Amino acid sequence: MALRVSWLRSLSRDVRKSLQLARSSDKYARAASSISKDMLPGPHPRTPEERAQAAKKYNMRVEDYEPYPDDGMGFGDYPKLPDRSQQERDPWYTWDEPDLRRNWGEPMHWDFDMYIRNRVDTSPNPVDWNTMVKTLGGFVGLMLFMFFLGELFPSYQPVAPKQYPYNNLYLENGGEPDKEVPEVKNYKI
Amino acid sequence: MADYKEAPLASRPQTLDPREYLELSPEERRAQEERLAIRARLKLQYLSQLNDPHRTELIEDPALTRWSYARNLNHIYPNFRPSPKTSLLGFVCGVVPLFVLYYVFKTDRDRKEKLIKEGMERPFSLTS
Repeated sequence: MALRVSWLRSLSRDVRKSLQLARSSDKYARAASSISKDMLPGPHPRTPEERAQAAKKYNMRVEDYEPYPDDGMGFGDYPKLPDRSQQERDPWYTWDEPDLRRNWGEPMHWDFDMYIRNRVDTSPNPVDWNTMVKTLGGFVGLMLFMFFLGELFPSYQPVAPKQYPYNNLYLENGGEPDKEVPEVKNYKI
Repeated sequence: MADYKEAPLASRPQTLDPREYLELSPEERRAQEERLAIRARLKLQYLSQLNDPHRTELIEDPALTRWSYARNLNHIYPNFRPSPKTSLLGFVCGVVPLFVLYYVFKTDRDRKEKLIKEGMERPFSLTS
């Protein structure tokens, strides 16, 4: 999907020397730059009028609009929407974009590309969080403990050094045939 | 269908929530209506563009433009401000790894060098 290609779009558009239109979402004869600066996100709103303007810009109610706290992290006036994934939305409603379960013009979450249906999912779980954590932690802890014990007390098939016949291969290893051949017994009866 | 149980990956829909019918105050109802009105206006705009027979271009979504602009450096950098939180984050992510990684690599490599010098470790030995 051509989601993050706003720069590409403005590159490919013909430079038409037409007037810049006030409402950029209705007509098709656009100026060279597609959207006006006041429709884009801006700095953090300080006065209630700025908040009302920002809420109108993002198509939200003034009471619903809540910007990120102004601690210099770079969010500006972008709204802080609830952290819910798209998977939680109604599958049977006729969304404008059914795959993303989103309507046209609806404000997108800052982490929208994280909350799509293929990725992070905040739907309710069959078991509650604490049970899940305890189960996982218990299993992983148990396995780690068992592996640790296995390192402490290894158990394997008994092994011995390899034994060779003919007195440990005395002649083959370069022993003199006339000399006294040392008797090597590798067995015990 | 009187007993709706939430399924593992489906939360309770709003139309089956008893709170919606019994406990919602008039202000909340008004809020819902306002949200519905906004949504209906946007829907009308979108559908009139979608079904326009003379339209030849893609329908541009200003919310999408705003989202992608917000995540751009053109928007983040002007709104960045050195605050205690950002300074701490910058320090933790930018300065601390330098020292930590230097220390970790140096001690690990020194230990290995010591072992190789003593002969206890032979990384490229061919005979054994």
